[in-house]
Amino acid sequence: MLVRDYMTRHPVMVEPETSIVEAQGIMAEAKIRHLPVVEEGKRLVGLVTRERMRIPPTELASLNVWEITRFLSTMTIKDVMAKRDEVITIGPDTPLEQAARIMVENKVGSLPVLEEGVVVGIITDTDMMAHLTEMMATRISGVRVTIRMPNVRGELAKMVGALGEQGWGIVACGGVPAPKQPDLWEAVVKIRNAPKEDVVAVLSRVEGQEIVDVRET
Amino acid sequence: MATNHRIKSPVLKVDSVAISYETRYGDVEAVRDVSFNVHRAQTLGVVGESGCGKSTVAFGIVDFLGPNGKIVGGSIKFQGRELVGRSQKELRKLRGDQISMVYQDPMQALNPSVAIGDQLAEVLTIHRGISQQEAWRKSIDMLERVYMPDAANVMDRYPHQISGGQQQRVVIAMALLNNPALLIMDEPTTALDVTVEAVVLDLIEDLKRDFDTAIVYITHDLGVVARVCDHVGVMYAGEIVERGAVEMIYGNPLHPYTQGLMRCVPKLGATKEGSILYPIRGRVPAPKDRPKGACIFAPRCDYATERCHNERPLLREIESGHSARCFYAEEIDASAWKPPEGLVPDLLAPEAEEVDREPIIRVKDLKTYYEHESKSVLSLVGMGEKLYVKAVDEVSLEVPPGKTLGIVGESGCGKSTLAKTIVGLESPIDGEAEFLGFNLTAPVSKRDVQLIQELQMVFQNPDSTMNPSYSVGKQISRPLQRFRAASPDKVHAEVIRLLNAVRLDGSYYNRLPRQLSGGEKQRVGIARAFASRPDLVLCDEPVSALDVSVQAAVLNLLLEIQREHGTTMMFIAHDLSVVRFFSDYVAVMYLGHIVEFGPAEAIYAPPYHPYTEALLSAVPIPDPTAEQKHIRLEGTVPSAMNPPSGCTFHTRCPRRSMLPDGGKICETQVPPWRYNTEEHRIFCHIPLDDLRKMDPVVTTREG
Amino acid sequence: MAVSEQTIPKKIARPSRWKRLREGASILFASKIGLIGLVIVLFWILVAIFAPLLTPYGPTEQDYTAQNTPPSAAHPLGTDSLGRDIWSRLIYGARVVLVILPVSENFWLPGGTALWGVFLGLLVGSTLGLMGGYLGGWVDEVVMRVLDAMMAFPVILLYMIIIAAVGASATNVVLAIAIVGIPGIARLVRSLALDIRTRDYIRAAETRGESPWYIMFVEILPNARGPIIIDAMLRVGYAIFAMGTLGFLGLGLPPPSPDWGSMVAKGRQFILSGSPWAALWPSVAIASLVVGLNMFADGLREESLRYQ
Repeated sequence: MLVRDYMTRHPVMVEPETSIVEAQGIMAEAKIRHLPVVEEGKRLVGLVTRERMRIPPTELASLNVWEITRFLSTMTIKDVMAKRDEVITIGPDTPLEQAARIMVENKVGSLPVLEEGVVVGIITDTDMMAHLTEMMATRISGVRVTIRMPNVRGELAKMVGALGEQGWGIVACGGVPAPKQPDLWEAVVKIRNAPKEDVVAVLSRVEGQEIVDVRET
Repeated sequence: MATNHRIKSPVLKVDSVAISYETRYGDVEAVRDVSFNVHRAQTLGVVGESGCGKSTVAFGIVDFLGPNGKIVGGSIKFQGRELVGRSQKELRKLRGDQISMVYQDPMQALNPSVAIGDQLAEVLTIHRGISQQEAWRKSIDMLERVYMPDAANVMDRYPHQISGGQQQRVVIAMALLNNPALLIMDEPTTALDVTVEAVVLDLIEDLKRDFDTAIVYITHDLGVVARVCDHVGVMYAGEIVERGAVEMIYGNPLHPYTQGLMRCVPKLGATKEGSILYPIRGRVPAPKDRPKGACIFAPRCDYATERCHNERPLLREIESGHSARCFYAEEIDASAWKPPEGLVPDLLAPEAEEVDREPIIRVKDLKTYYEHESKSVLSLVGMGEKLYVKAVDEVSLEVPPGKTLGIVGESGCGKSTLAKTIVGLESPIDGEAEFLGFNLTAPVSKRDVQLIQELQMVFQNPDSTMNPSYSVGKQISRPLQRFRAASPDKVHAEVIRLLNAVRLDGSYYNRLPRQLSGGEKQRVGIARAFASRPDLVLCDEPVSALDVSVQAAVLNLLLEIQREHGTTMMFIAHDLSVVRFFSDYVAVMYLGHIVEFGPAEAIYAPPYHPYTEALLSAVPIPDPTAEQKHIRLEGTVPSAMNPPSGCTFHTRCPRRSMLPDGGKICETQVPPWRYNTEEHRIFCHIPLDDLRKMDPVVTTREG
Repeated sequence: MAVSEQTIPKKIARPSRWKRLREGASILFASKIGLIGLVIVLFWILVAIFAPLLTPYGPTEQDYTAQNTPPSAAHPLGTDSLGRDIWSRLIYGARVVLVILPVSENFWLPGGTALWGVFLGLLVGSTLGLMGGYLGGWVDEVVMRVLDAMMAFPVILLYMIIIAAVGASATNVVLAIAIVGIPGIARLVRSLALDIRTRDYIRAAETRGESPWYIMFVEILPNARGPIIIDAMLRVGYAIFAMGTLGFLGLGLPPPSPDWGSMVAKGRQFILSGSPWAALWPSVAIASLVVGLNMFADGLREESLRYQ
């Protein structure tokens, strides 16, 4: 699960000289919120987002009507984009969760993916969410069980082992420390082609573990 | 991996584009109202016959229309940016390295005087400004990705030192080096042999996955489209007449033109019925004769009504994702179509009594070698070793009278040389050939006029089969006069009769070849060959240069004439599907030898010679749901000057492992003939029982 | 394409010669350069034909009272050293070059020396070229070597050798022009034949067992006529030049023949002494005809290329 598997290749891009008006049109039509700005050879020189396109009101206040129109019509992307050194980027072989971490820590909605300075794709928060749905097998129907267990080595293996003994297919498996209870661990598994009651029965028998939620999705 | 959250906007959005050319007679509209979208990782096939405008559209996208072509309407948006109406400079910037194009002839993109490595590296150094070394390294990587054998060495070679298939791979590598968002391919495999084409098509499919490139694939070959495309746009006379996903277009063609095309594409049907080709009557209208206020296909359509001649249909969506430009698309039922009277000869009629007759032509161990000019000094003095191109090497065959033998093989197999030897344009150095009691080993100049008269030929290239300086009538009457097939006062009437027999009316008598279309010229060629009522006619790929719908018409014509005159025919082709429907016997040739010979049904079903099997797996089938074996041949055809020892196919045979020792015997001993039935023989070391256990190569749904 | 079953009239007239001529003419008229060239050439031909009507003097009429006079009312282009009217000599000279070939005292052929010379050269050169190009093998080798030998001589030298050998007369000049033209024509035709013989219709003819001569002259030659004709035009120009040079060197038609070259030769001496007319006008005439022919050939080639 690397960035290269989830990024959008051949993203829509513009040159620094593109007018703001044109860029707006492109973003609207393609329904995107992030536009990498590149030069010859797809070298990244900046990034434009919808927020960036908002002109700070302080600047506006000083202009009169004629100036505003001229201002708007002559402005280019170069004037509003985040410059290269302000843009955070990653490489295509970065693990996806690493990319997610960078996005969270820096509060950015997208990361241009570069290979030797050349844009090869872009990964956005939406891609991350898609990743999450994939990881949790959201589109596959099955029994989804949340189990709480001591946050101790071996516990997860016990549970998985119990399921494995039944020969059932586990299509998703994830876990986090239980909210507000760091000694406990909450694991979520999704099992396919197994009746809910059987799953509940098997998992209840696992010692020291408690089913917190079970549903068919 | 989930992709349905991704950008929904297409990489290329073509909307109601119209392109015109300036000519001496005013502006001529070549393309009108063409719209389609191509998304990332999607291949759109633009399919149509010659003159439909598909290449024009491609050139319009990359602005290669030439000084007198211009886009007169519509919009082309690439990655959201409008291309129409921009200056050259702007276009270059916008396109930059994001759109690449691959042409039919790889030598159009390759510089013959620069080494391949330099040409590849240049693409990177110019656009990306990276160092030569870096670029060189990346180029080798890319060559390996396009499955170029021995990539590092190829970098140092020149284009003429590698084969056509490899050249095309280099061109594809060049096109992909800059990771373009859009790749346009204009008939990239048309000039390649079937087995080489199969490998290149495999490559294109792989690349799609790896690079996520949007591909526009232009071709006239419906089989290729079925193999590589996800979506298809069918073009006719400058318009898109149908558009949709590939399964929908092939499974349920809505527009009568598409339906007609499907009927005339050669198929590898299991039976003779499944293989009949039905031509589309009529002719494609020239650009200046296209009506603006009517359906452009109406003159040739079996379902046309008053409305079709007076109103222009719009391209509308009939079912989800599938549009057609026809008023009656929902109502027409393709499966209920019956061929109109006289469209095809009655092929299924039982033939005249099958009498076991002596073969009319018999060839035994024929050898035709070309002497190769050796470059050594010794040969100047006549003492050097003589090198021979073994074009035809011990070929034997027989054909009963009135039957058709199809000879199939790829370039370099010797089929053309075989035909030329039989006709007398080449002289064999050994072997026997006998026809009607005449000895065929003599060249034409030494043959009896009577023999010459009985043995005529139809040629491949319609543009050069007629002498441009003389009228059609004159050229057909020449054989009549020369062979005194008609008395001088009857010659004219006979020419008219022949013209009618090839479905051309008498007014063609005075026309010059340049006034005829390709199909018409080929028909005249047929009339000329049959003028003296020969007993044997050789056809050297007579239809490969023609459009699919014209091919069907000409093939049916040949059949009809053959039936009428009882002529024996030898038909040379490079494609097994073309000969399927009317050959009685088929011979498969490889490197100067016949490797399999037998009645047609026997060839297309197991047991197969390994080469036949590979050929059948390589032919692109116009049915995306058909199951076809995926056998590919490694390497290239060895040189005919130095053919491999033993079985010439041993260097590439995928079935060698079926023999003990990995097929050691294939390298040392010439294979025996295995007789599957009295008439069906295979030239192979593998025992017949093993060959019989092979699975059939193709499983299609019939009908 | 219609499949008509209508009865056909007995004899269908071919698109008449006129129609084809008109078609050819329209090619001509489409090129401005070709048109100008044609006008110039036609001018000289017409002037040559109607010579007697265009001047009261004969070409050899001498007037000792008016030697080396500049252009005047009586003599529009002036007179030469023997008092002969230059204009008359020019237009009668055009006759010899372009319109009439005096074979002997009482016998003449229409066409002029230059035209006949090129024509003969075409005949022989085409045949050789066809043989070499189509038959190939040792025939080609022999032909090529002979041509090479001929081409090794500088053109003027070749002319001089021939005339010196057989003497200067109209027919000998024709011969010389023909001989000198043969290698170039043969090479051109040979390369055209080499290309054309790869065509399928030649194969078709061979398959019919047609004789090599048939194939060469009936199948190949008509398709080479475009470039050959254009080349021939240019050669007429070269021939005129050559005649001029020969005349200049004293090897041209015997005096008092009014061929332009001789006129230049004779008039040369008087250029510096203030009477350039005798040398000037024939030079202009030669130049104009050659340029005219070149332009005409250019125009033809341009249009026939576009037509293809």
